[in-house]
Amino acid sequence: MSEAPTLKRTGLPLPITIIGAIVLVFICLFPFMWMFGSSIKTLPELYTVPPIWWPETPTFGNYYKVLFESNIPRYFLNSVIISVGSTVLALILAIFASYGFARFNFRGKPVLQSFVLVGQLLPTAAIIVPLFITLRVLGLVNTFWGLILVYMIVTLPLSVWMLTSYFKAIPVELEEAAIIDGASRIGILFRITLPLSTPGIVAVVVYAFVTTWNEFVFALCFATDSSVKTLPIGLAEFSTEFNTDWGAVMAASVVMTLPIALLFFSMQRLFVGGLTAGATKG
Amino acid sequence: MDRNSTGLVFVLPALIVLAMLVAYPVAYTGLLSVTDRQGAFVGLDNFSAVLGARATPQAFWNTLWFVGGSIVFQVVFGTAAAILLNQNFIGRGIVRSITLLPWVVPGIVAATTWAWMFHTEFGIINYMMTGAGVIPEPIGWLTNGSTVMPVLIAINVWKLFPFVAIMVLAGLQSIPNDLYEAARVDGANFWQEVFHIMLPQVRSVIVAVTLLLVIWGLNSITIIYAITRGGPANRTLITPIQIFRLAFESTNFNQAAALSVMFFAVALVIVIIYIKALASTPGEVK
Repeated sequence: MSEAPTLKRTGLPLPITIIGAIVLVFICLFPFMWMFGSSIKTLPELYTVPPIWWPETPTFGNYYKVLFESNIPRYFLNSVIISVGSTVLALILAIFASYGFARFNFRGKPVLQSFVLVGQLLPTAAIIVPLFITLRVLGLVNTFWGLILVYMIVTLPLSVWMLTSYFKAIPVELEEAAIIDGASRIGILFRITLPLSTPGIVAVVVYAFVTTWNEFVFALCFATDSSVKTLPIGLAEFSTEFNTDWGAVMAASVVMTLPIALLFFSMQRLFVGGLTAGATKG
Repeated sequence: MDRNSTGLVFVLPALIVLAMLVAYPVAYTGLLSVTDRQGAFVGLDNFSAVLGARATPQAFWNTLWFVGGSIVFQVVFGTAAAILLNQNFIGRGIVRSITLLPWVVPGIVAATTWAWMFHTEFGIINYMMTGAGVIPEPIGWLTNGSTVMPVLIAINVWKLFPFVAIMVLAGLQSIPNDLYEAARVDGANFWQEVFHIMLPQVRSVIVAVTLLLVIWGLNSITIIYAITRGGPANRTLITPIQIFRLAFESTNFNQAAALSVMFFAVALVIVIIYIKALASTPGEVK
């Protein structure tokens, strides 16, 4: 984490570093500036050659259209329900599984641990069809529960992986002391281990929420009714439904990006720490 | 309860959910691939039907081209960005945060925003490029068969190089300072440090990240589907989208399952070859 206080690094020459940083920021940020700029343009301003950089009379008409004349608010609500639901479920399952993997030895543990990761390695496209049939049999197509469950494939493996490494880093001695005092395993998990792994928990929550909020393919296949459609599907629909209305599409993109950007930047340090912990150790 | 079963009890709920969602569907795909609509056994008919379709080999090559092209640039740009972000300069924290932005936003948002920027008539990219004299007249980036794939690869690189950057950056930060000190005593310059200290030290991170990129690449339906749906004239049709189309547009689940089985097998072989190849050349850099 920390730079050497004593020794000066022979880094890149400062001008090159600065130019590089500016180019990097431009590449990463420009599409978002263009997205926002387009979202507050009026129709004639959007469709002019040459394009104008910034609208003369910024308008919120596109936002009005998105928020009051489309299905986007409904999809926004669906997205919140599904993302929160699957994040909570993934967190609960991952806490128990990670604790089991981190603190116990049992037969077949290596196999089971790699089985958990297999879900992450599986090509999504290869399991869409049977998953769809499974959900249909269970009556879960076009329900919140269907997507919440399916998202376990996406979120659970990495969540278990991240939390296991967090739990392992907590000294066992703390728990052993509690066992001697007669605490149960569950009691230990909730009163000692969990409070000590808050950064890991936050990392899992952010990861699971961001991933499910952004997920497109499963939602496209398993949520075809507008009562359960999520925002990504709404946006895709929007750009075909109003094929030429790029202002509204860009406004919808802003609406969809804001919550995730806010969540991410407020939790960024914890999240990046939790995510990269496993990578640098392995 | 002995320790043995207690651990299992903790692990079991997650395993049951994953078994239901992963193991069962995978087995079911195998079954679907050798039966027909009525469930009767048809041998390898579905496989030969899928292999006989003109789109299949095309989608296969498109997939290789898309995944391979994306990964090379993701790793190169991501590593370069990580080395840059590991330098000391004012505002480094904020630049690091901004770099992560493309990775965090929904793929569909990235896709639509870039599609708008690449718009033939009103897109900012054609305007900037004609203005700068790079191209003589506006190009139909997303409708022209020869430009559409490189453009999609570029968008995909933009979306995922930040992930490589944070992972490699974390690796760079964990390099012990004595290595730099030793190199400096020997009079190493910056580029020698890059090639003889940084890259060898983050090699294992790059390997792990590349593997993830391969898997994500094979899964990346969102950007292509949202922008071109595989067109024009199947120029950007990749196998995952072909599977999706077979299943949900032609509602031919059995052929889609056969294609899934083959796709899964090829993906598995690629992953295994990759792991083996890396295991056998431990000393090689990059």
